[in-house]
Amino acid sequence: MLTRPDPPTGRPGKPGGGRSHRVREALLGLLLLTPGLVGLGVFVVFPLFQAVYLSTRDNDILGNPTRSVGLAHFAELLTPEFGALLARTFLFTALVVVPGVLLPLAIAAPLTQKLPGMRIFRTAFALPFAYSASAASVVWLIMLNPGTSPVNWLLGLVGVQAPSWTSDPGWALVTVAAVTVWSVSGFNLLVLAAGLAQVDEDVLEAARIDGATGPRQFVSIVLPMISPSLFFAVVTTTLTALQALGQVHIMTDGGPNGSTSTLVYSIFDRAFHNNNSDYGLASAQGLVLLVVGVLLAAVQFGVLERRVHYR
Amino acid sequence: MRTQARHRSPRTGRISTSLRRVTAGVALGLAAASTAACGAATTGASSATTQQLTAPPASALDGKGEVQVTFWHAMGGKNGEALQRLTDQFNQRNQGRIKVTLQYKNNYDDTLSAYKTALNSGQAPDLVQVYDIGTRFMIDSGSTVPVQSFVDVDKADISDIQPNIAGYYTVDNTLYSMPFNTSMPLLYINRTAFVEAGLDPDKPPRTLDEITAAARKLTVRDANGNITRYGFGTALYGWFVEQWTALAGQEFCDQGNGRDGRATKVNLATDEHVKQLEWWQRMTEEGLALKFNSDTAESDNAFTSGKTAMTLESTGSLGGFLANAEGKFEVGTGFYPKADASHGGGPIIGGASLWIVGKGKDDAHKRAAWEFTRFLATPDAQATWHTATGYFPISKSALDTDLDKQWRAQRPQFDTAIKQLESTALTKATQGCALGVMPQARKAEESAMQAAVHQGTDPRQALQDAEKSLDSAIKDYNQSVGG
Amino acid sequence: MSTATRSRLNRPGPVPTALTYLWLGVAAVVLLFPVLLTVVGGFLPSSALLHQPPRLFGGDWTLDNYAEAWNQPVVPLAPAFANSLFVGLVIMAGHLVTSCLAGYALVFLRTPLRTPLFWLFLATIMVPYESIVVPNALFVRSLGLGDNRLSLVLPFLANGFGVFLLRQAFQQFPRELREAAVIDGCGHLRFLFTILLPSCRPALTALAVWSFLQGWNMYFWPLIIASGDNSMNTLQSAVFALKNNEGASPAVLLAGISITLIPTLLLVVFGQRWLVRGFTAGAVK
Repeated sequence: MLTRPDPPTGRPGKPGGGRSHRVREALLGLLLLTPGLVGLGVFVVFPLFQAVYLSTRDNDILGNPTRSVGLAHFAELLTPEFGALLARTFLFTALVVVPGVLLPLAIAAPLTQKLPGMRIFRTAFALPFAYSASAASVVWLIMLNPGTSPVNWLLGLVGVQAPSWTSDPGWALVTVAAVTVWSVSGFNLLVLAAGLAQVDEDVLEAARIDGATGPRQFVSIVLPMISPSLFFAVVTTTLTALQALGQVHIMTDGGPNGSTSTLVYSIFDRAFHNNNSDYGLASAQGLVLLVVGVLLAAVQFGVLERRVHYR
Repeated sequence: MRTQARHRSPRTGRISTSLRRVTAGVALGLAAASTAACGAATTGASSATTQQLTAPPASALDGKGEVQVTFWHAMGGKNGEALQRLTDQFNQRNQGRIKVTLQYKNNYDDTLSAYKTALNSGQAPDLVQVYDIGTRFMIDSGSTVPVQSFVDVDKADISDIQPNIAGYYTVDNTLYSMPFNTSMPLLYINRTAFVEAGLDPDKPPRTLDEITAAARKLTVRDANGNITRYGFGTALYGWFVEQWTALAGQEFCDQGNGRDGRATKVNLATDEHVKQLEWWQRMTEEGLALKFNSDTAESDNAFTSGKTAMTLESTGSLGGFLANAEGKFEVGTGFYPKADASHGGGPIIGGASLWIVGKGKDDAHKRAAWEFTRFLATPDAQATWHTATGYFPISKSALDTDLDKQWRAQRPQFDTAIKQLESTALTKATQGCALGVMPQARKAEESAMQAAVHQGTDPRQALQDAEKSLDSAIKDYNQSVGG
Repeated sequence: MSTATRSRLNRPGPVPTALTYLWLGVAAVVLLFPVLLTVVGGFLPSSALLHQPPRLFGGDWTLDNYAEAWNQPVVPLAPAFANSLFVGLVIMAGHLVTSCLAGYALVFLRTPLRTPLFWLFLATIMVPYESIVVPNALFVRSLGLGDNRLSLVLPFLANGFGVFLLRQAFQQFPRELREAAVIDGCGHLRFLFTILLPSCRPALTALAVWSFLQGWNMYFWPLIIASGDNSMNTLQSAVFALKNNEGASPAVLLAGISITLIPTLLLVVFGQRWLVRGFTAGAVK
């Protein structure tokens, strides 16, 4: 995805323009870059430095930065609790990404057959995409309400005692992840179906004649052909999971007993929730998030993308 | 959020009308200029906490024309509409003198967070509604004029305010804010289920053990052994545990529940709390209580759907319960159950109160905000408020108005709340804990409840963990306010 | 998955076909029940929902919940709608303008430092928004915009991904055409607006859809910036406030949510092709 910017090879403004012309062109170029640079400079680059500054300060009860505490906020992050928080964040991401991509794939694959009704199925399966995280969370809370849950009722019919989905610490993270999977499934289905639609029928036909069996054929031939779509679904789902706030905030508010508190939720909680205004600690956590984000991106682009076959 | 609409009921008495504009226009210009520091609300609270702002006399309004008062509140729905009606009434009576404009701020958390932001940018309202657990924080913000100061200046008689309600907002013997919407916890029962189970719905359980006994009879299983109705079920809401602490006559935090000085420690890992959590564990293990998170919306739905037969909730939920249970079952109320029959204390009231903002405000605005606050506390205004919203009236004589009597005649369930309040002695324990980080403390408390009930953690261990997790928060807070 | 896979790849016989339908049918019931609950639940009296399982069929249907959800004063949905549209459209416009201009400067002009500047744009993509949300919130609050909607969009007007996407698209533009235009005396801005942009319409559509949905789905920022001012809610923070509004019955809640879903539901049903292109264009290149 990151093609190297080509060196100033040309595409000159005007062939043989004079010196003053080149100056004008350079100025124009800088002028055109200004809006983007200012926007990103003020709201992305500068805040990074500000976050570093804030992370070394204490805050009074109104949130104003006060005395310097050096690296104390980062020291607070070197605790088992924060380690558990990070581990939980990664676990949550995995619980979202793996099923969040595989489930739509398992639905998208049969949808490519030329059978009646497939288009209707595709539209129907895409419907969860219409739900924002917050809408999905509220609807699923009603689905799982211990007093009235249709899910629990169904499980009861087959003799299974439903767990306390959102209040059992062993289940809450799984539940929030499952709701996230549901809400990303529509989008990933569309992406993967689009990828599958481009796979050449002849290729499949040839592979079939060679006698490769279905699943093997799927893994060895089809998957590589849709690897750009797969990669895209993995990357966007990872970001969605890593940055999830609405689901956690609405469904469990980080509980029970902190068992759904992820890194982004923790930033929100420390800085803006429960009458907290611990901007210093929240900024330190934000910087950790930055590192996590960059590392994940490095892994995905450095390792995974090598296996992606762009056509 | 959960703390939101919990407490209901208000107050007051005839705060005197005595000093009204006796001192004509003498203090005119002086007062106005004194606090011209509008935009300068910068360095935060630490410096401001020690000295408290003082109230201007009635004359502050003289010659000021119509003073505009902005009031930030968190009353939604029919509560917000009732507040608007009262405000219109006040504005009409004070035409040309005071005009109050309401600004709805979603919920208590958002109101407080907006208030903090506004203090820093000098755009604070003149009057702000803050939830009970924000009391100590508001005092420490040093940005408000204590109601006590107005009472003293006016030599006002506030004896009509229910002392138990005023007690919550009294710290260091100073009434800092005017209680407004007030509520108390009650035990709600499904009377129909009680009759079915052969229990007397007129004698709801009074202790946790009695709840257990009743729940055994109320719990129903189908042929497969699945539970179709639980005897009991309530949210793991920290407020409920705080109530048991008060009923046991114990203090939730040190320094006389934060009333004699700044609290330094929350008493979570007490034998009393351990016993309560053990009870809660037994109830769920035995299949008598449905497990919930800390969000009361879920347990409310379970109660009105008939899935649970008893629940704990605030008086404020009575209206919703009656509406949603209509045609299905009869709702009954009982005193909030004691953890042990020997306990003699009473529950703590909750809700929110009104704070008059002083920082960056001239005397006319402070005074105008007070006049409005005083109006909201009158018996008539409180009767209107109580009957429209279901909050508890803070004024004793509001209960004697015809309006209020009629309303209660239709909702006999509410009388339980009145009796409960009247039989509660005001002590440090029933005043409740005033703590700067009370919102976090409640959250920690709930974590302990969740760990014990859902994870099976040893209650004492869970409570100790929660207590420990608060130590640094309390220390940081106290340090940052210089105490 | 294997059943599905096999039937996808082999010529479907009757048995695999039946299995395909079975699998899709089961998946549909599980995945679409919440959608059914949302849509149907909004039309039911709340007593039908306060029942296990909810009585979705055979009851009396009513429009009251929709009326109440729309008219209740606590979390007004009309301004939230307007705000969400504003946020989506302004962010979309911001991304398009800043990215077009920057992309042009990076591809067609001999702008000094363009390689490092391009890398700078790229680097900003790596910064998760949540890691700088605290300083941004403090900054935007300090601007004293009050209840001005601008504070909802200010930090999001420029975006590194947009610049990247359009730079890639511009590079596909045939060199000869560009040179021919220049020889004809076509100025930079005229070339940009009359020739280049029309020929890059797919990339622009892609960016527009992506940017709009970025704004539309934001949760964290509106939550903390609208804090306490319900005229500033977007639909996402309104859904939270609605849920939080104690006393709202589940039926009213579902009706309110259905209202907030109308635009995106329409998009999924009628604009699918568009959506896919929008989301995948950048990444599949």
